[in-house]
Amino acid sequence: MSQDKKGGLKRRDFLKIIGVAGGTAAVTGACSEPVEQIIPYVIPPEGIIPGLPNYYSSTCRECPAGCGIVVKNREGRAIKIEGNPKNPINTGHSCAMGQASLQGLYNPDRIRSPLLKNDDGRMKPMGWEGIEKNLSERIVKARSSGKSGNIVFLTNNISGTLGTLVDDWMGVLGGTHLQYETFAYEPLKEANKISFGIEKIPTYNIDKTDYLLSFGADFLETWLSATEYTKMFSDMHSVKDKTVGKFVYVDPRASLTGTNADQWVSIKPGTEGVLALAIANVIVNEGLSSNSAGGLRGLLSDYSPDKVSSITDVPVDVITQIATDFAGAKSSLAIGGGVAASGTNATQTLVAINILNYIAGNIGDTMDFGDTLSISDVNSFQDISSLIGSMNNGEIDLILIHGVNPVFTLPKSMKFKEALENVDCVVSFSSFMDETTELSDLVLPDNTFMESWGDYFPRESVKGLIQPIMTPVFNTKTTGDVLLSVSGQVEELNGRYTQTTYYDYLRDAWKDILPAGDFDKQWKKALEDGGYYEEPATVAASLSPAAGGISFPEAEFKGEGEYYFTAYPSYRYYDGRGANKPWLQELPDAITTGVWDSWVEVHPDTAKKLGIRLGDFVSIESPEGTIDTQAYVYEGIRPDTLAVMIGQGHTAYGRYAKDRGVNPLDLLPVSTDELSGGFAWLATKVSASKTGKHAQFVQTQYTTTQHDRIIAKSVSLSALEKGLHYEEHNEPDFYPPREYHKYRWGMAIDLQKCVGCGSCVTACYAENNIAFVGKDMVAKRRDMAWISISRFFEKTDDDAGFRTIYLPMLCQQCGNAPCEPVCPVFATYHNPEGLNGMVYNRCVGTRYCANNCTYKVRKFNWFTYKWPEPLNWQLNPDVTVRSKGVMEKCTFCVQRINHAKDLAKDGGRDVGDGEFKVACEQACPADAIVFGNLEDHQSNASKLSHDGRGYKALEFVNTQPAITYLKKVVRDKA
Amino acid sequence: MSEQSTLTYARVNEDIIRMLDKPTVKWLALFIPTLGFVGFGLFCFIHQVYSGLGVAGYRHPVFWGVYITDFVFWVGIAHSGTLISAILYLFRANFRMSIYRIAEAMTVFAVLTAGLFPIIHLGRPWNFYWLFPYPNQRELWVNFKSPLLWDVFAVSTYLTVSSLFFFLGLIPDIAAVRDKVKDVPRKIAYTVLSLGWKGSNWEWLHYTRTYLFFAAFATPLVLSVHSVVSWDFAMSNLPGWHTTIFAPYFVAGAIFSGLGMVITLTVPIRKIFHLEEYITLDNYDGMAKLIIMTSLIVGYAYGVEFFLAWYSGSPYEWGQFYYRVTGQYALFYWIMIVCNVIIPIPLWFKAVRRNVKALFIISIFINIGMWFERFNIIVISLSQGFDPAAWGIYMPSWVEIGITVGSFAWFFMFFLIFIKTLPAVSIAEMKEILPVPNKGIKGDHAG
Repeated sequence: MSQDKKGGLKRRDFLKIIGVAGGTAAVTGACSEPVEQIIPYVIPPEGIIPGLPNYYSSTCRECPAGCGIVVKNREGRAIKIEGNPKNPINTGHSCAMGQASLQGLYNPDRIRSPLLKNDDGRMKPMGWEGIEKNLSERIVKARSSGKSGNIVFLTNNISGTLGTLVDDWMGVLGGTHLQYETFAYEPLKEANKISFGIEKIPTYNIDKTDYLLSFGADFLETWLSATEYTKMFSDMHSVKDKTVGKFVYVDPRASLTGTNADQWVSIKPGTEGVLALAIANVIVNEGLSSNSAGGLRGLLSDYSPDKVSSITDVPVDVITQIATDFAGAKSSLAIGGGVAASGTNATQTLVAINILNYIAGNIGDTMDFGDTLSISDVNSFQDISSLIGSMNNGEIDLILIHGVNPVFTLPKSMKFKEALENVDCVVSFSSFMDETTELSDLVLPDNTFMESWGDYFPRESVKGLIQPIMTPVFNTKTTGDVLLSVSGQVEELNGRYTQTTYYDYLRDAWKDILPAGDFDKQWKKALEDGGYYEEPATVAASLSPAAGGISFPEAEFKGEGEYYFTAYPSYRYYDGRGANKPWLQELPDAITTGVWDSWVEVHPDTAKKLGIRLGDFVSIESPEGTIDTQAYVYEGIRPDTLAVMIGQGHTAYGRYAKDRGVNPLDLLPVSTDELSGGFAWLATKVSASKTGKHAQFVQTQYTTTQHDRIIAKSVSLSALEKGLHYEEHNEPDFYPPREYHKYRWGMAIDLQKCVGCGSCVTACYAENNIAFVGKDMVAKRRDMAWISISRFFEKTDDDAGFRTIYLPMLCQQCGNAPCEPVCPVFATYHNPEGLNGMVYNRCVGTRYCANNCTYKVRKFNWFTYKWPEPLNWQLNPDVTVRSKGVMEKCTFCVQRINHAKDLAKDGGRDVGDGEFKVACEQACPADAIVFGNLEDHQSNASKLSHDGRGYKALEFVNTQPAITYLKKVVRDKA
Repeated sequence: MSEQSTLTYARVNEDIIRMLDKPTVKWLALFIPTLGFVGFGLFCFIHQVYSGLGVAGYRHPVFWGVYITDFVFWVGIAHSGTLISAILYLFRANFRMSIYRIAEAMTVFAVLTAGLFPIIHLGRPWNFYWLFPYPNQRELWVNFKSPLLWDVFAVSTYLTVSSLFFFLGLIPDIAAVRDKVKDVPRKIAYTVLSLGWKGSNWEWLHYTRTYLFFAAFATPLVLSVHSVVSWDFAMSNLPGWHTTIFAPYFVAGAIFSGLGMVITLTVPIRKIFHLEEYITLDNYDGMAKLIIMTSLIVGYAYGVEFFLAWYSGSPYEWGQFYYRVTGQYALFYWIMIVCNVIIPIPLWFKAVRRNVKALFIISIFINIGMWFERFNIIVISLSQGFDPAAWGIYMPSWVEIGITVGSFAWFFMFFLIFIKTLPAVSIAEMKEILPVPNKGIKGDHAG
């Protein structure tokens, strides 16, 4: 367009050239690179400068944590999500699910317009006016039946304005609004009610502790607010003043969280509570308690270490050692309540943990009730159960379902699907054709949170605003707008709302939320900040005597099988909602490195007993059903336990999710936690048998150990305490050393901080247009990830028998790169700022560079990978989309470097430290990755590169990497 | 050749030119399927170009596989042609006379085959010419540090020199054929190709000097080309590749495999065209002795690799070689050892060296063994590099197998055309080793 104004290239000529280029492409066919049409803005919208991104603050709605995000918009399309640094929850970090929400927005299997089920049971597209009219008629019909309470609005946790609107709506219509969350943490609420008289879920100040004891709380994965707790964990567990905090994980299975523990205590399922009491017992008996233990002495005396050891399978010396460390730490904290560990005695277990915290003096210190989570207020599992009862009794005529997929996320034994058939009219507001929506009569597809106005209040102090980043991709409509529009057509509601759009309704609602003063100014600021954040009040709780009054029974298990069955929530799919996003499907699981499927984790001894090995199909049978899935043989699980991840096994939900893996919920009977009534996830015993079927276990890493190669290094705590000094390695070199002026880009990666969550991997896919290739291609090791997490298990002589070390592996941007001299056409070369440049257009595809790469981080385009429309809308226009036959690899986000340099040049200065972040660094919830200019000796990256723990991977090859790894700290054997 | 006496100058001409008669049904029965396989190979290649290199079995971290194996294999085959024609010429080893033409033809066709593979294996084969340093407006230039570029020069030089050398040796023979053939098209073709050769003294004087000069020029190429090919591997830093013994190891292996291929080719030709009097058991005996020697060198290299890996004390080197003998590819490794080291052992006995059937069988095993040697070096080394997290297993796909089979067919296609169009045994040189005909005893029209 600018050419036009200068009178250089005329638009007409431009089109001619495009036409000729297109024609040539058609003739030359397969051998030429795909030609893309350039469609300029004929009339550029205001405020958009082509080539410059706009950023909008919003709130992520992928899980109930409610992190703040900043979405990058280029030429009217959302292309990248980053954490909002102003949001106190995630402080600028993000997780893989959040990164991947773009693939929800642009999902090719989204519902593209309102749908109405025909008489023959087929869904027929319809206009909004018609469907809204239809909905209002259904409401009128349901109302006219004369029954009360026959309308139900079932939503996820929509704490905020939409929640208020729905409440109000249902109040007028005499119906009920139920907020259903798959993982509602009811035992946590109930236990806090019993222990402290507060029926809320608090925030835990993990970062303030130096000894963390988790009883199955998978806080690095899904527990409450994983991104936030990953950051806090990173703070407490990283090296400060030559020491590190200690983290002990108690669970039958070493999950991702467990593999990051300094000590994994394998415990018999459902006995965590008594272990907590035994630890408290030791603390009291040894006189280590900071308080008198009050009336609890009597209770605790029943739980001697000897007795508890035989119940829990935890050795006595481990119990006493934990007790001593726990009480001896400056600030300690015990947490619990992970979904996978919640059995029929989950509440009692958590009360026991609260007692332990009380004995150690942690209440009020590291547990804060001043800022409770809104997930505390969702409806209970019992409410959902009784809803199913009412549906079966024909008491419900109209159910409106928004943001939840209960047919999939409720155990099959609940028979929600069958109950839904007894409802006269089912209305779904889902953006996706999921299992529940398939059974609906009316579908009014909602905008995703990136296309709509809204808000979400994840906790008391945080009120997150949601603003549209772009116009809707399809013919969808924000549910708030639909409700307001339908209100005009229903007698009772007509005229109740003065606002015609949900935006107006939202704005009006926020007039009460924002502080007094100039509302427009405040509103604008709130939009910029991504919401309104208050300073949380500190509310200390004190232990109520009731806590000691309850009994602590053993967990009950249904089924006659010999194995405990753990269905654990996935940090990639959560309750299954992530399964339709190819980035998440292709993100390797931290432990198995498996992708695009389900598997069952089996202990080596159990595997031997069953006669199975990696990749064999195992049939798991419970009274409720049977699932067949592949085995992953893993030392980090008890021999009497089997574990399957929740989230796969969809029968609908789009091409990427459908018919993939198995759903462990099919095996779960209806069991509830005795005191809270919440669903008991860990309450099944199953039998397992070999099916005789075998298939390749599709994973991205086929080794489990380092084979004595020590690429991921560790250092013992005692050596750290003595003090470490950076060792400079200078190999003799034939060539003179390279010299850099002003910039040499480098990175420091702290292995002590990295938890292996894979957030960086997905962020890299999003930023750099990395193709997802599907299961068949990953089976051939053809995944295209530029950064991948290597996980190595190392043998240890403690009870766990192994420890895990995660190492993000990406292009090391070597100073003396083996890839460079071997390329015959200079497609890869050393740039003056120390980057290994990669010129896609020059690459002829000899692949010699990849063969000679010491770190094997180069990826080859075996095919031209396609992004089904409209997933390609997400592509970053600053990054070339590669076609078949060229090599690619990490560029250190060279487009971001160049952008920062351009800005610096405009300002007549140099790029400063921390002025921009590369995508992996930006996403990392643990702050493990620090990028910067190594020539600037004051930069963070440069300082860390000379840290005592620093080393270069495979240094002896003399590649002179720009990446310095900081050794992981391991505990000396106690 | 002292004991035979029935051959005369005239019979040499007749016998050899008779091979160029109209194709028989048998020849067509060989040629048409060969064309079919070439066609299938071509189809596979087109499929690969159209779809992407992914249709081959490649996977991270094995970025080179069967194609580069084929390349090195065919370059290796190409070697003994020049060895037999040039080096043995310089050494005046008479046992080369009868077979050198076939060996030279084999060289040219093997280089023509080998030269395809670096292009076939490219991710973007349509840009193959970017590897040539020629002035262009795109400001592209080549990286002279890259061993792949050295390859470009080595192989193209070798193709040029061996083709010229092949053609040079053919000139007097083509003239002889020209004098014999009657039909007009062939007459014209051979007339043009013979470059007006009359067989005068003056011509012979210059011809023999030129031939000697070419032989001397081609000799270092025998050593250099395969050394350069070996540097594709030796110049990298990969355990299993990065070793100084590769150049002599590869050259010996090339001669070894080339001799094997010469035997594989000459035995059937000798039988079909009744050339027993030309390609004698003495010739085979000489080649078999060379095979023994090169087999020993190759066997020694296998041993030294292990010793060096162990002696280096490097877990990476040792890990690689331990993996070769025990890992997923161990079968291929042991096939190589058996074919290249064990099976040639009977050649120490004269009776075996003079038994054509035995030689033929052994030569087939040598061909197989040497193909696997290259496969093992390339694929097993790549399969387990420095970083265990990146280890992976590669197996060829049907496309790669199709192209490999196609490459054999492509080679044999040239060969079949060759034996029907050009004298497969050198008429002129055969006469050099025959007793000089005396006037009045036998007919005397020399060619």
